[in-house]
Amino acid sequence: MKRLWVLWRREVAAMVVSPVAYILGAMFLVVMGVGFWFIASVRLINGATLYDFLRALYGGVAWLGVLMVVPVLTMRLFAEETKSGTLELLLTAPVRETEVVFAKFLGALTLYILFWVPTLAYFFLIHQALPEGITLDTGAIASTYLGLFLTGGFALSVGTLCSALTKHTLVACMCTFGLLLLWFLGGFLPAVSPIPAFRAMTEPFSPVLHVLQFSRGIVDTRPIVLYVASTFLLLSITIRVLESRRWRA
Amino acid sequence: MRVPIRIIRNRMINVEHLTKKYPGGVTAVSDVSFSVADGEVVGFLGPNGAGKTTTMRILSGYLSSTGGTVEVDGLDVSRNGLEVRSRIGYLPETCPLYTDMRVRDYLRYRAELKGVARRHRKSAIDRVLEECGLEGVRSKLIDHLSKGYRQRVGIADAMIHQPRLLILDEPTIGLDPNQIVEIRKLVKRLSRTHTVLISSHILSEIEATCDRVIVLKKGHILETASLSELEQRWFPGCDVRIEAKGDIEQVRSLLLNLDHVETLRINPNGEWLDIDMKFSGEPDPRESVYTCCKESNIPIRELHRVRHSLEEAFVNMTSGGGGV
Repeated sequence: MKRLWVLWRREVAAMVVSPVAYILGAMFLVVMGVGFWFIASVRLINGATLYDFLRALYGGVAWLGVLMVVPVLTMRLFAEETKSGTLELLLTAPVRETEVVFAKFLGALTLYILFWVPTLAYFFLIHQALPEGITLDTGAIASTYLGLFLTGGFALSVGTLCSALTKHTLVACMCTFGLLLLWFLGGFLPAVSPIPAFRAMTEPFSPVLHVLQFSRGIVDTRPIVLYVASTFLLLSITIRVLESRRWRA
Repeated sequence: MRVPIRIIRNRMINVEHLTKKYPGGVTAVSDVSFSVADGEVVGFLGPNGAGKTTTMRILSGYLSSTGGTVEVDGLDVSRNGLEVRSRIGYLPETCPLYTDMRVRDYLRYRAELKGVARRHRKSAIDRVLEECGLEGVRSKLIDHLSKGYRQRVGIADAMIHQPRLLILDEPTIGLDPNQIVEIRKLVKRLSRTHTVLISSHILSEIEATCDRVIVLKKGHILETASLSELEQRWFPGCDVRIEAKGDIEQVRSLLLNLDHVETLRINPNGEWLDIDMKFSGEPDPRESVYTCCKESNIPIRELHRVRHSLEEAFVNMTSGGGGV
């Protein structure tokens, strides 16, 4: 646990001193801010509910943010260390591969969460604009952010794996983006498929539907289990990839 | 009655029949066996692709072997990886470092990672900063350091947790002559308190720091010997160089009459003669050469025994003479 904490601190520090994190954070907040302004001005003024707002912002614009942020946050995790040779330094220290993988993943997750924190201000702004006596449904807001956390965690684990498979950060970034785009677009399959059986089969795996569900304040354990299990599975594969380096390298 | 004291040194490294095959069929190391005693300083020599780095990476736990056993301090590297890594200080060939960190912060991070207790951490950092001559750059970003200083940071990192064994892979590669001298002095100092396995292309460095050398070629061990043994094995007998004045034929016949002369080569150099002689056997022939010349009134202005460098032995061994 202590080594995990030391490694995690190093990961976060490396990201915090890098200008990439600030540029990425700024771009993310610009995208989210523009989305918020657009949706708030069009929807809320026209009498839409908070749920409509959450659905539009987090079921739509947020995906743009996730697809933009996750590949850049994860691309350097292993690829850069492999290329610069510091991975050899890391893996010849008395640390386990599991600790290294989890520390890197948690470091990226920390930054991902930090990126989302300023967006909580949107609800303060909405609250200020609401008429007296009407309160915000904090449960729906919390479940929306839970959905973002779970889908984000899964997306980050995809990026972590891609980064462990190559020594080129750009390749890792593009692979992650491509896979996440497939994952996101695949989420529309239930909506566009004319075959009911196929729709029923793909619906439980649609991230788009999951986020919409969470934004309505519905916390279903099935997507929670799906994302947590998938994240752990991908991280386990990443650990195996790292271990296999001892035979391959 | 005096009882002879016999110092038994434990084996710090014990490698038996080590083999490493990479996917694709390339055999980097094949059936290599050697051992290094506790406190010994051993040099790893060999041309590029000989298997030095692969062997060192297996010892450090970065790579797995495909055959044989590797023990460090009595522990099997493949079974006790974590424990073995905590007893080793390893400097990889390229000396990778986190260039976005300051020297002190980097060493603190590495000390924490290697399990140096909080109460000993500051003294450990101060110790390695002093031993590696890094006090003046402790607050500098590693990115702003010269290659020589970076190499020192790498060595400081390797020794921060006071490991019993230091594995240094080409610690002077890419350095300028002044930096090489500095690093060599540092390695020499470290060798007083650690078991050191060092690989290098700079043979004078090995000569200056090591008790023994292991020579690798194409994944096999060619030689394992002390430097003096190596010299005797590859350059048996005694080579003598003389500068004398006199008639070339008279000098030739005079010197050929000496005992154990194997070869004699005389080159005129103005009014002087450059003479290279090779004697078989152990006894130092210089006295007899001097006496012979003196008795025949042949003036001498130089007479010395030629010492062969490790470079020559290395070239001899790796260029086919003793090839595998």
